[in-house]
Amino acid sequence: MLEALWEGLLLVLQWKAFGFMLLGIGLGFWVGLLPGLGGATTLALMLPFIYTMQPVEAFAFLLGMHAVVATTGDITSVLFGLPGEATSAATVVDGYAMTKKGEAGRALGAALASSLVGAIIGAVALAAAIPIVRPLVLTFGSPELFMLAIVGLAFIASLSGEGTRGMLRGFLAGGFGLLLATIGQDPQSGTARFTFDSLYLMQGLDLVPVLVGIFAIPEIIDLFVRGSSIANIPPGKVAKGAWEGVKDTFRHFGLTIRCSLIGTFIGVMPGLGGSVAQWLAYGHAAQSAKTPEERKQFGQGDVRGVLGPGAANNSKEGGSLIPTVAFGVPGSTSMAILLGGFLLLGLVPGPDMLTKHIAVTYSMVWTIVLANIITVALCFLFLDRLAGITNVKGHRLIPIILVLVFIGSYTSNSHYGDLLVTLFFGAVGYLMVLAGWPRAPFVLGLVLGKIAENYLYISTARYEAAWLTRPVVLVLIVVAVLVIAYPFFQARSRG
Amino acid sequence: MAKKASFALAVLILLAAGYAVFTAHGWPRKAALFPLAIGAPLLVLALIEAIWAFKSNEAEGDPMPRGIALPWAWIVGFLALIALLGFPIAVAAFMLAYLKFAAKEDWIFSVVVTALVWGAFYGLFDAMLHLPFPAGWLLEWLGFAA
Repeated sequence: MLEALWEGLLLVLQWKAFGFMLLGIGLGFWVGLLPGLGGATTLALMLPFIYTMQPVEAFAFLLGMHAVVATTGDITSVLFGLPGEATSAATVVDGYAMTKKGEAGRALGAALASSLVGAIIGAVALAAAIPIVRPLVLTFGSPELFMLAIVGLAFIASLSGEGTRGMLRGFLAGGFGLLLATIGQDPQSGTARFTFDSLYLMQGLDLVPVLVGIFAIPEIIDLFVRGSSIANIPPGKVAKGAWEGVKDTFRHFGLTIRCSLIGTFIGVMPGLGGSVAQWLAYGHAAQSAKTPEERKQFGQGDVRGVLGPGAANNSKEGGSLIPTVAFGVPGSTSMAILLGGFLLLGLVPGPDMLTKHIAVTYSMVWTIVLANIITVALCFLFLDRLAGITNVKGHRLIPIILVLVFIGSYTSNSHYGDLLVTLFFGAVGYLMVLAGWPRAPFVLGLVLGKIAENYLYISTARYEAAWLTRPVVLVLIVVAVLVIAYPFFQARSRG
Repeated sequence: MAKKASFALAVLILLAAGYAVFTAHGWPRKAALFPLAIGAPLLVLALIEAIWAFKSNEAEGDPMPRGIALPWAWIVGFLALIALLGFPIAVAAFMLAYLKFAAKEDWIFSVVVTALVWGAFYGLFDAMLHLPFPAGWLLEWLGFAA
């Protein structure tokens, strides 16, 4: 195992992989800082570029980008009081309050140092989980893997919306994704399904045009409507006091570690995602106040309110990679898109990633660690200039993103059909945003559709209906039912 | 607006699921199993959501976001340019037009940024990755395509 860990490090340090990681870090750094441009959208936009890469290079690029988004997102939250990312909203509460008190440097130092600690703990959790989940995953056959896909969908569908109505929409989105995954020639019988006699649709819907459309187009519309309102605070001296913030991280080291563990745990649970992790960690940090007076400090600029979410935000990445890599069940939207990346590279998450491609899996651990160390070091170096980077007008970004959207989607098949698919799913994505429907279950349905169908086919062909009576399958059915029933219990206990 | 959007999505899924269930009936069992297993429950769920959205009163105080027609027009316009003139010309024309008229930048800024983005596009996709970008339909029709 140690040998594979070492091999993983060497893979990331190869000049090409390392170069792509640096490129990813550069992009993620910027995207995290800019409010309005999300990490998941950028991940979808960058998928077309990985076609020609080796798996290690592709993951160094994508994960390097994704791993730092939460870190730099905290900077915008602290300096401007608007979250750079949805996942760094909790940092606003005390981080921005500290800025208003003239302690921006201290808040930034605390956010960055706790982010680094969180990222390392998440990565260690991922590395430590591999030998533990490996024997479990290796006993799984097609029936268990099919049920895992269903459980993953049930988790994401029922938890990404609130209440019964939210769950209904979650399931509709997930089911729609699964249904669209059946477009194209059926691999078992060769039947052309829902192709409308179009040659383009014979090979099925390509992930890239759909994902780019569903995430990037609504964001472009939103950016357009909001105009140039990103941030317009002049860059100032913010570096002062940053070292104090780093010291705070170690003064409250127990809290930082506990919040990192909360983040990791939430990351492992499919469907909860980073937005939940940060608030749970914030809640835990507030609870750690010993007296009512001390608790009143939270919201007024208590450094612990920055440390908690900062740590949890970054530790969740390592955690959420565990179910994604081991079971093919992503815990969040970004991980669902990353799962799409696996498929583009010809890797199937599951047993193979823990045996044949174990070094690739460990290279992901190292990417998270290295990307965060590099980012935090860069942030400290350029702390004073960071505020200036956010001064980009939304209108200047739109045409560049739009060019990337259409070229990116076109590269998947070099067919004009790709552009129409992007436009269509852009409209669907925009409707979903307007209606408040979750997009993560849709992505998961689309990504898992083909795999799930294949597992279902093998299960019924090999065991007929008897696959339903296998012990692990029965346990997973119970889990799926409990997950689906949860919102009803929740509603009843409230009522 | 949330109500209308939700209703539209529910109807879209209702139609898709209905079509899936209807067509899958004629296929061999192997091909029909999964679309039917997904399509049938989806049909019921979509119907419930459509009725729910239709009957709910959440529309009040929730107007359509203003000014969304213009960004859609730019997006569709760019797509039409790509189809008519091909990627290389469309990227340059769109960048310049957008920066000048939508972002209201001055000419120098618009031209410089357009040149930079076009250079990056050409260098990466054409020179390095050798992606085939077909000439647009208009150029083909006029006989300018190589």
